Order: sequence, then C-alpha cells, then structure tokens
Amino acid sequence: MIKSVTKQPLIDDNTKHNYIVIYNDDKEWTVPHDENNRMYQEILEWVAAGNTIAESGE
Amino acid sequence: MSITKVTDAGLDRSRIVTPIIINGDMQVAQRATSVTSHNAVSYTTVDRFKTVCETGTYTVIQESLTSGNAYLNGFKKALRLDTTTAEASAGSAGEQTTIEQRIEGQNLNAFLKGTANAKPFTLAFWVKANKTGSNLQVNLRDADNTRQVGGTYNIDATDTWEKKIINFPADTTGAFDNDANNSLTIEWFLDGGSNFSGGAVPTAWEASSNADRNVTNFDLAGSTDNDWALTGVQLEVGTFDLNTIPAFPFESIDDNLRRCCRYFQDYASFKLWTTALDGNTTTRLGGVFAFNTTMRAAPSVSKTNNTGTIDSQTITDKGYSVFAEKTDRGTTTNVTDIELDSEI
Repeated sequence: MIKSVTKQPLIDDNTKHNYIVIYNDDKEWTVPHDENNRMYQEILEWVAAGNTIAESGE
Repeated sequence: MSITKVTDAGLDRSRIVTPIIINGDMQVAQRATSVTSHNAVSYTTVDRFKTVCETGTYTVIQESLTSGNAYLNGFKKALRLDTTTAEASAGSAGEQTTIEQRIEGQNLNAFLKGTANAKPFTLAFWVKANKTGSNLQVNLRDADNTRQVGGTYNIDATDTWEKKIINFPADTTGAFDNDANNSLTIEWFLDGGSNFSGGAVPTAWEASSNADRNVTNFDLAGSTDNDWALTGVQLEVGTFDLNTIPAFPFESIDDNLRRCCRYFQDYASFKLWTTALDGNTTTRLGGVFAFNTTMRAAPSVSKTNNTGTIDSQTITDKGYSVFAEKTDRGTTTNVTDIELDSEI
C-alpha cells in the first residue's frame, strides 16, 4: 500500500518527472512515468482512489 | 565419413528450447530467502513468483530440499508458504491467497492463441502440503482478453512431494498481445473469500468470472499448522501426461539469473559514486551505470544515498543516472543498496 507520492523533475526537462513513492513498509522507490511500470500503475490506482501526488519541494 | 543428412528423429516437435516459465526450479531468490509476517501482494523471495497473500499471514521461504521425490528428480529449491497467523472463514469476501507467475505476451506466441491453429497448454509442477486436498484449482488468466480457464489437482498424501500435470484446452478466441506486458497469469489458488467461489471450474476458456476461480477452497489460512510448497513448474505447448511430458528444462544458473534480471536486479553492495561534474552548474555531481541486462521496462529504483540531496534521476530499461547536490554532500556522495524492479 502506498503512503505518499511526490514528483521529482528530470534534470534536463523539468516538464517531465519521476515519482518518489513511499510504501507502508517505509521503503522508498523512484518510479518512472512509464505505463508499462507496475508501480506507476499502482500510483494511477492510488490517485483514482482519491489521493493526491505532492509537487516537488512540498 | 562426412555426414550428408541429419534425420529429424527427435527434432520434429516444435518445442520452445528456452523454457516458458522463468525460474521454475526456484533456484533464484534475489530479494530474500525468507520473509516473515507476509500479508500483502508483492514479490517476496523466489524471483518471478508473486506471493498474493491477503488471507492469513505467512512466512515465505525459498526452501532448500534434501530429500523427497522432487529432490530425487533434481529440484534443490522450492517456494514454501507457512501459515503463521490463521484467518478464519477465508477472510473478507474479496481477499485471496494465490501464487502467480505472469508471462509477457511476446513469450507466448507458440500457443497460437486466438487463431484457428491454437494449441493446448500443459502445466506440470511438484507440490507438497501438510494436509491433503481435492480439486485444488490452478487457473490460466488471459489479461489481454479478460478470459480464463481452470484445472484442478489433488494432494493425495501429507508432507509428500507429488508431481501434477494439468491440461488446459486451446483457445481460438483472443490473441495474446505481442508485447512486454502481462498476457498470461498462472494462478495457484490457495485460499479465497466468497467472491471467488460459487461457480464451476472453467474447463473451457470463458470470459473472466471470479466465482469460477476457487470453487473448492484449500483454506491455507485456516490453521497455523498449514503449509504448501511448489517447485518444478513447467509450461508446455501441447497435451501431455505424466508419461509423455518432456523432461524439466533445467537451465544453468547464469541463464536462469539473466532471465530473472529482466524483471529484478539487486546491487546490494555496489556503490554508485557521483563523480562527474554537471557542466551546467558547479553544485551538482552525477553518476551513471548500465544494467547488466536490458529490463522489461524502465524499472522502479530503490536505493539509499549516504549524504547529500538527490536532485534528479533518469531511468530507462537499459540504465540509470543520478545527480546529487555537491554543496551538501560532505566529501563524497554515493548511492548504494540499489534494487531495480520491472516486474509485471
């Protein structure tokens, strides 16, 4: 289960970003914006459940 | 004498040389060999086998075998679930405990699914449990076309390795996508709530129906006495029985590990030092490395950094780069304990 998601911009294009995801076991993953990535799909489900992705620096 | 012709005896079966199942002998466990208190949906120990444990709590083990029929047939490792906290009545209606392997569509083309020439499937595996059971269910679930088919096996003797063969029919409806995403999930159902029963085992392919996935519940979560173990998983094109199934396709450990690394890579002791100065700033250092195997898709990355702030990361299926702030890095910044996860 996801606890939080925060955007992290790419260094060469700040219009694109990865996601810093912390799960309930407190493990942190950097998840690319890639529809083929399983954890990215989990982020989409987490957002659909009413949760909000934090912007970088928040 | 020179050879002028090689007869095709023994070569006429259109077998896939590389096994369809990855890590079917459970030899590779990059994440861990034992995980306790598991009550979640995740990959835990043995590579490529997803432990979906929503009913009950388990210790998941890559078990070393030293005796028994599976051992005598070459299997030295198994995936084992020990129930450590029981959950009565199979938990909530929508909860399930299953073991899965998910297979990319591009690795399934030999089944010709969705065509007039579609081929049947045969699944072979070794299983052991502390209690006997009848009609335990294994399902093939087509993720591309939302279809499924099921088969059953019995556990005839307690604490005894038994080899099982399940035949599944061909499916002329619904081709697998020719891509890197999940097309087929093999699902060993071990416990489930009421949403997964009430129907009938689908011995022919059908539109997905939860009620048909666990018609007879094994109730693995029902007692802390319970355990269940699996090894020697083999998926073949065609119809076979115990006498005709080809020998298990043992791979070398480097071939097996390389195939697992398409989905997960562990660099536990490796340190990626940020040493290259970013030309656009005097305050940022970067590091980069290429993966040992191209991954299925751009992976998620878990890591720890000894000091400093990670500004940015670039991740593709072939490599990873990281940039850290030079100003608050101390003497050196490194990223270690790197795990790459591109599982399905």
